Amino acid sequence: MKPGENPFGDLLQDYIVECLPLAEQVGDAFVELERRWRDGEPGEDLLASVKGRLHTIKGNSGMMGLTPARDVAHALEDACGFLGRAPESRGEGAAALLVAGGGLLVDLIGTASPDADGGPASDFVERVRKYLGLAPGAAAESDRRQGERRSRPRAGDGGAASNVVRIDFRRLDALLEVLGEGLIQHSALVDVYRRLMRRMGACEELGELDQAVLSLQKTLTRLESTLMETRLLPVSTVFGRFPRMVRDVAHAEGKKVRLEVTGGDTSLDKAVLDRLSEPLLHLLSNAVAHGLELPEDRVKAGKPPEGLLRLQAAAVSGRVAIRVSDDGRGLDEAAIRAKAEALGMDTRAADTAQLHGLVFVAGLSTADRVTTLSGRGMGLDVAADVIHALGGTIEVESRPGKGTAFTLSLPVTLAIVRSLIVEVDRERFAVPLSHVAETVRAEPEAIRQINNQGVTQWRGDLIHVADAGAVLGTREPSGAQRPFYVVMTAGAKRRGLLVDRLIGHQDIVVKGLDPALGRPAVVSGTTILGDGQVACILDVVRILDGAAHAN
Amino acid sequence: MPESFLVIDDSKLLHQMYRLIFSQGDLAGSTVHYALDGREGYGLLAAHPDLTLVLLDLNMPGMNGLEVLARREAERLHPHVPIALVTTESSEDDEARGRAVGAWDYLRKPFQPSDIQRLVRGAREQRRSRGAA
Repeated sequence: MKPGENPFGDLLQDYIVECLPLAEQVGDAFVELERRWRDGEPGEDLLASVKGRLHTIKGNSGMMGLTPARDVAHALEDACGFLGRAPESRGEGAAALLVAGGGLLVDLIGTASPDADGGPASDFVERVRKYLGLAPGAAAESDRRQGERRSRPRAGDGGAASNVVRIDFRRLDALLEVLGEGLIQHSALVDVYRRLMRRMGACEELGELDQAVLSLQKTLTRLESTLMETRLLPVSTVFGRFPRMVRDVAHAEGKKVRLEVTGGDTSLDKAVLDRLSEPLLHLLSNAVAHGLELPEDRVKAGKPPEGLLRLQAAAVSGRVAIRVSDDGRGLDEAAIRAKAEALGMDTRAADTAQLHGLVFVAGLSTADRVTTLSGRGMGLDVAADVIHALGGTIEVESRPGKGTAFTLSLPVTLAIVRSLIVEVDRERFAVPLSHVAETVRAEPEAIRQINNQGVTQWRGDLIHVADAGAVLGTREPSGAQRPFYVVMTAGAKRRGLLVDRLIGHQDIVVKGLDPALGRPAVVSGTTILGDGQVACILDVVRILDGAAHAN
Repeated sequence: MPESFLVIDDSKLLHQMYRLIFSQGDLAGSTVHYALDGREGYGLLAAHPDLTLVLLDLNMPGMNGLEVLARREAERLHPHVPIALVTTESSEDDEARGRAVGAWDYLRKPFQPSDIQRLVRGAREQRRSRGAA
């Protein structure tokens, strides 16, 4: 069906907003039903609770002309009706059918499109039909009726009264580009203003220019925050697929798992969310496969047979924190130590936190046995890389026998980053302000050389200070010390970076790196500055990580 | 005086669809009251004796469509206001039960704007013949 054929096609977004949470609740209820039926509980209340939701989904999908979603909801309704009447049929097979259908329904609604491939839906409907022992063709009849209804000519279509519109996300990206150009032009104006000021000194006209530039900045800031809001989506749009995935992994691993999800309404930029899905998927399946013990082992350890897996999201001071925690066996420090030593690392002096941090190192992150998650064999190191590339941090805490928790801290948006612009060997670099603790004038005597590394006192601690030329490869480190250092932080790590000049703060629009160039270890992207110059954005997390490994 | 209608449906999406339909053709400019559940809907019905037509969803949590009809019947609340029961692929059974408690007509989801226009024409017809009688 073409979009224009349905009189309510403009309400597609409203449909998703209303039906996706319903479908997710249905999917979660099915996962829970499976658990209860395995434990021999009837789960009547859950069966009853999904009925109304499925009915609403069926009706609404039908109204939207989204036949696959309607048919799947209908089939699930039939299956639930049957299972309500036939308690003896409740069991693993029935639950697997419901869970599969629930997942399919979430997918169909989440990606609702009038042109969607109806194949998976009709396969599922056929599966249910077989399960219920119905003769094929019974539903085909109603499909035909549907076809006749739909082909009737209608008058007065169009003329949307909805407040919600669908926009291709690429258009929002295009808007962002325009905003980025505005920001660049603004900083060019500021630059000219400063030069005029230097040449002419204060005068009335320059004061007015200053005011005008300032109000332009305010307008651009408002435009930016409005545009950013349109790009935000609740994390539940990604979390929705996890209950089913966790259940599948638990199934394959012979584990019993209860997944608790909180904070699904926390908002993140779609660009961040899109890239977050895989690492989270990995952390969750990793927790099920390696963190949680088999039911019998848990009982031996004095724990309930069912493992608890928590996925929590919350907005924390301008960023979003996501935590994946389990109550499993905790990280195996001896195994990490053994593997690290096999790779030639010296771990004798490493404390617990440093040892735990090694799980993010390539070659150490993957468990011994081959994972059963086909196609999901992303290592923890890759997951950590993706999160770092997003300007995020990931940390692990673990207690033997008590469990493991991974905590992610992510920027709400990727697109615009407030940055400190610095100059190193006449090249400009942007350091995201979220990673800048302080800029300090580097007094020559304040920095001492210990083991060929600069060290200084900073806020009562000793921190390493490195020459930016050496770190960024603009030139070899020379004897002369640069006049400033920037204290960069990521998680608990800190390091000073010596630079030639501090240019100032600026909102920069992040542009990706040309994939053909590969990804230099210390750069996360590029941006264009007010004077049209291209500047690299420093990947602070990697720089600090690299320093930690080098130590 | 402009015509007024009442929509009782627990789906906000359906409210949006009705808004679309009631903004078109000769329905534009009419007043439409919206309720998200049976109880609220019953209150709105009580408050508006002059409704041209009520569109009542069958399946709602709490007080469902049949319960609204049954209560209206029992309390003889504005018996002249036609109420169309909106169902999703309902069984003949549902329809018979609806008729027993005074449903004036049926509308099956999925429906089209033209289906609503047809119902409204029927309701106006009835109103005129009642006015003439």
